[in-house]
Amino acid sequence: MTVASQVKQTLAGMKGVQGSLRVYSAQTRDEESRKAFNEALTVTKEVIIDLEDRIRELEFEEPQYKK
Amino acid sequence: MQMWLEILLRTISMFILTLVLVRLMGKRNISRMTPFNLVSYVVIAIIAALISVNVITNIAFGVISLAVWALVPVVLDLLSLKSKWLHDLISGRETVLIKHGKIMEDNLHQLKLTGEELLRELRHKDIFSFSDVEFAVMETTGEINVFPKSDKKPVTAHDLNRKVSPLTEPQTVILDGNILNEPLASLGLNREWLRLQLENTGVSLDNVFIGQVDSFGDLYLDLFDDSIVLPQPRVREMIYANIEKCHASLMTFALETKNKDAKSMYIRNAKKLRQLLEKLEPYLLR
Repeated sequence: MTVASQVKQTLAGMKGVQGSLRVYSAQTRDEESRKAFNEALTVTKEVIIDLEDRIRELEFEEPQYKK
Repeated sequence: MQMWLEILLRTISMFILTLVLVRLMGKRNISRMTPFNLVSYVVIAIIAALISVNVITNIAFGVISLAVWALVPVVLDLLSLKSKWLHDLISGRETVLIKHGKIMEDNLHQLKLTGEELLRELRHKDIFSFSDVEFAVMETTGEINVFPKSDKKPVTAHDLNRKVSPLTEPQTVILDGNILNEPLASLGLNREWLRLQLENTGVSLDNVFIGQVDSFGDLYLDLFDDSIVLPQPRVREMIYANIEKCHASLMTFALETKNKDAKSMYIRNAKKLRQLLEKLEPYLLR
């Protein structure tokens, strides 16, 4: 497996986490827990953006993706 | 009038009257009543019984007596809400039995309570050695309540210095195969959401005995058919595990890459995830 596809897998994992966190931040009744989930959402968003940038760089370096 | 008819009518009217009066007197637990409350209940019961079987022939006299016994306690209760002095006069005051771990023999004597009885009451509270007690008090109802020494108290999350997620009470949304609309609405959810959840678990509504939604919005079900094993909601644990997995992958990438910028980016994000895990642990795992 190429590095880019490994990073892509991790990105998919992070996106899954983000989705589940979003569900909980919507359906949790307790205010404090909801705040914690919302903060977690921002962190996952930052990580996802960084990973997406990295994948773009990797695809540029790994020519098999340019087909 | 025929005798049996009169008894029937008297009994029915007394039944209804007593029901109303006792409801008026309030919601007290019989076992947690002051002795005087018990006396008024017993007197009401006896008068009602005597009227209904025609021992007290004059209904008016009987009802007057009944009304006094039922309403005076209510009035006294209302007055004692206003006045602490009257309250103490009517229901008495609580008595300290153990203070700073020492038994107050004088108070025990005053209550005509023997050491044996005190120990029995303590055993009721799962305390077998009086040296574990810091403070004990006999309430006006005769119940004994105990404050254990601080090192003998049950451990709480606070004692362990652990953060736990705040929880609100779970709401019952399905009972006996019927959807309860009111609790569902108070959660801000609707029947459609419930239908979707049931579909995801693969059970039909009429097979559900009890369904409860906890404060995280997870649905827990008990089915009539106990041979079906239901998966319990584990989504929160899964989130934790997935973040952990991503953290591990980022660490691996950081080790493998030769690009300096990428390395620092991976390490920075791995750190973020580590902090996130620590922060979310009480909400996701506990």
